[in-house]
Amino acid sequence: MKTNVPTVMKTPHSDYFTQDTGVDSCRRAFFSLEINSNIIASYAANVMSSVVPIPTTSPNIFEDVDSSDEESIQQAFSKRDLHSLILGRDGKSILRDVLDISNVLTDGASAMIDDSFSRCFTSRTSEPWNWNFYLFPAWCIGVALRYLVLFPFRLILLLLSASLIVVIFTLLTTFIPASKFRRSMERRLVQALSYSFLMSWSAVIKFHGPAPVPAPNRVWVANHSSMIDYGIICSYQPFAVIMQLQGGWVRFIQTRLLASLGCLWFNRTDLKDRQIVGERMKAHVSSPDTTPLLIFPEGTCVNNEYTLLFKRGAFDMGCTVCPIAIKYNKVFVDAFWNSKRQSFGHYLLKLMTSWALVCDVWFLEPQNRREGETVDEFASRVQRMIAERAGLQIVPWDGYLKYYNLGQKNPGLIEARRKVYADCIKQHLPSPVLQDGGGNMSSFGKKTAMQTEEDSSESQQQGSRRGNRKK
Amino acid sequence: MGQMASLGLTQHDVEEVINYCDGVWNQREVEVLYRRFRTLDRGRKGYISGDEFLAIPELSINPVASRLVRMYESVNFKEFAKMLSAFSSKASKDSKLHYMFLVYDVDGDGIISREDLHIMLRQLGGSSLGEEQMTELVELVLQQAKSPQGLDVAAFKTALADPKLALENMEVQIPIID
Repeated sequence: MKTNVPTVMKTPHSDYFTQDTGVDSCRRAFFSLEINSNIIASYAANVMSSVVPIPTTSPNIFEDVDSSDEESIQQAFSKRDLHSLILGRDGKSILRDVLDISNVLTDGASAMIDDSFSRCFTSRTSEPWNWNFYLFPAWCIGVALRYLVLFPFRLILLLLSASLIVVIFTLLTTFIPASKFRRSMERRLVQALSYSFLMSWSAVIKFHGPAPVPAPNRVWVANHSSMIDYGIICSYQPFAVIMQLQGGWVRFIQTRLLASLGCLWFNRTDLKDRQIVGERMKAHVSSPDTTPLLIFPEGTCVNNEYTLLFKRGAFDMGCTVCPIAIKYNKVFVDAFWNSKRQSFGHYLLKLMTSWALVCDVWFLEPQNRREGETVDEFASRVQRMIAERAGLQIVPWDGYLKYYNLGQKNPGLIEARRKVYADCIKQHLPSPVLQDGGGNMSSFGKKTAMQTEEDSSESQQQGSRRGNRKK
Repeated sequence: MGQMASLGLTQHDVEEVINYCDGVWNQREVEVLYRRFRTLDRGRKGYISGDEFLAIPELSINPVASRLVRMYESVNFKEFAKMLSAFSSKASKDSKLHYMFLVYDVDGDGIISREDLHIMLRQLGGSSLGEEQMTELVELVLQQAKSPQGLDVAAFKTALADPKLALENMEVQIPIID
């Protein structure tokens, strides 16, 4: 059983990337955005392409998927399920049709073993190289140097400079009234703060491309791997950004210093917030005096090998979009921040005890929405530019899937697949009963009520069984 | 193997798992499965909870997601590998059929009874199947299989004994990342 792996993007900088991305040897097919760039349709296509493939005698199911409405997704799903159901089924044996659920089970098992979404958030484990009798002591010395010499030095330097900047900042805001001068000083101070952070990680950043120039009706977008992306860009040119309010000392920096730049706060789980932030974004961008706005359209940190769906918010405002591509060199340190696994402090510690942080930043050509291009197409075109430059693979999943359950949010997708199965087995029923029997239960509320009912009955029966399973 | 040891998997553990799964997985595959298990299991509990499974988008839109999650949640790694062993290319058709039987047998009593069939059909057919249609189908199935009380393992295997049903699609490749 063969799957073909269309590796969409090759890294253009393999000269100093000593490891390749490694996923190339994995045998799951990734959805290529050449076919279509619509969000929901690509959900369907991604799901279908990542499960066990249908044998080559079946036609290409992606051919007709070119629009984003639910109907076309459902059609695509139905076609695919119909194909795998029809395989070997001749409609004669009800037992076969009802009891053979191998395709659904295989989908489930393959999702459990490896799925394209989780892969965007895993860090590559590095092979140990220090097991040699002469390399090991060298490594020990290296560790001692990093932890005992570099780290305290960096920490002290950072604390000194950060406190100095905060003091100057407070003095500035207390004594000098709001004016253009004060604003430009504030920006300089934030830039200095980011720079001192970068120094504390021995960052070596190469900036490529023309320096961004603040102008009205422009917005900057970049791919996201960690909160330090903002720091890196800010050290070059101060930007305002939309961020999630964190806790602890980060909050202090956010509310005191960054707010002066016009940063917007955003709570990603709150739906109403999105609308409010959307309006404020537009206001910010249209006024001429404000700091340029930087947006991370993925909405969450990704591991710098892939890029997730670019959300339309930044592209919907009718502004010129200036893409920025960021790529970290993982040989020195893996800068991906997995917020579920590490606290920010822990992450900073990792950065400060590594040798260096090496990174490339490319400022790409500003793009406008073309005639006849929808917002989503525009977003994915910009995504393609960034992915190509930074050597990332495009995965059309939505970053917010980290926070919600796709099946619950889009029950229509599941129901469409169920319909295919139901139609197949209903053929065995004698005709009178075939007349509309399922139409009553179309509302979502009823369906979940049914599901929870059946879940609870299942759990009662399963309760005793589960006790035997735990070791 | 250095990083495997740091993940807590020794040669002895690997061999134990391979034996438990009747030699269906090789060492590399067990390592990859174990890494996957650890990735899914946040908080290092030793088992994967239902929510963690449903956080996988592709799994959450599977029609029988809740049944699968019920089967797989709260099991330890050995059982996890054993249950997934039906999907190896080396697994026999018999073990695949046995696995399907286990999925169908919701209450775990060794017999696919009317209630089991009802529950599974509800998950598989969803709102497209009416109550009467389902009852009718359940009766038809039991009638065809000639086991009015419910299908046991043997009856299930006979029902799906058609040699054309090779079940070769019931196979999953473990991605070996080198």
